[in-house]
Amino acid sequence: MAKAFKYGLKGITGFLEPAERDLLRSLIDDVISMLQPEDREGQDPLAALIGLDMDVAEPTDRAVRRLLPNVARDDGAASLEFRQLTERSLRETKIGALRAAALDLDKDEIVLTPEGARHWSMALNDVRLVLAERLDIRDEADAEHVHRMQDWSQAEDVESYLALVYNFATWLQESLVQAMLQSMESRR
Amino acid sequence: MTISVAPGPDTQEGVRTGTAESTDSLTAPDIPWNLVIWNDPVNLMSYVSYVFQSYFGYSESKANKLMMEVHKKGRSIVASGSKEQVERHAVAMHGFGLWATVEKASGGPGGNSGKSGGPGQGKGKRG
Repeated sequence: MAKAFKYGLKGITGFLEPAERDLLRSLIDDVISMLQPEDREGQDPLAALIGLDMDVAEPTDRAVRRLLPNVARDDGAASLEFRQLTERSLRETKIGALRAAALDLDKDEIVLTPEGARHWSMALNDVRLVLAERLDIRDEADAEHVHRMQDWSQAEDVESYLALVYNFATWLQESLVQAMLQSMESRR
Repeated sequence: MTISVAPGPDTQEGVRTGTAESTDSLTAPDIPWNLVIWNDPVNLMSYVSYVFQSYFGYSESKANKLMMEVHKKGRSIVASGSKEQVERHAVAMHGFGLWATVEKASGGPGGNSGKSGGPGQGKGKRG
């Protein structure tokens, strides 16, 4: 059984069982694969190097669109221009955090530096955003409905299983963020 | 946003003696662009507050006040500045997974300007 993250003398620590680590690793891998930019034929290598992507388009997958949202609410052209300049590096930032968290999953006991904790909180957040899209969480009532699924013996279909996984990731992220807030408080 | 679900310890709300980073320069009335954070049912209230504190350097009370504004009103202007500044903030917010947009400030100074409110706002309860 996982132990909540806590802040103490060693920094921020947590503990996960092997099955929980496998689960998180596969969730993280899924999100990484969604964020991996495609290598397009004929793309200008210099533009790619500095993060420009003139062929970028608004993602069609809802979950990817939530990870990489439009920057202007009612201005598609401005949002697209912004994507050309920033989306590639945003994808790389997110993949970097997800990979860092995945590397920490090699041991039962997780000991995090402030930087590592930040990567973990970002990675868990992106995992939850993707799960929430798959679970069709659109408002607080949907979230509350999903949150009621707490008993693994209730897992009888894909949706209830996903809901339990989402709740596990939520619990883990909440305990991590509370530990991070305590750590910030103590450094002030 | 969603509320805390961890059965973690109650947060310690000690008296802070340090000075919060001044953000007055970000909210000068003549600055034309705003960074808006939108509510969503997934992001944890504690996480949103953490992002506001760690990224913008806002005090806990200011971060919680803005977080509650996002939660209750559906959106909040959390920073203002030049177009380049707020766009840079927006990418950082997207990196954290927050739903951020930029918009031209309208209606001049005042209103929902993201300025720090009175002391004690949003304190005492997190998530």
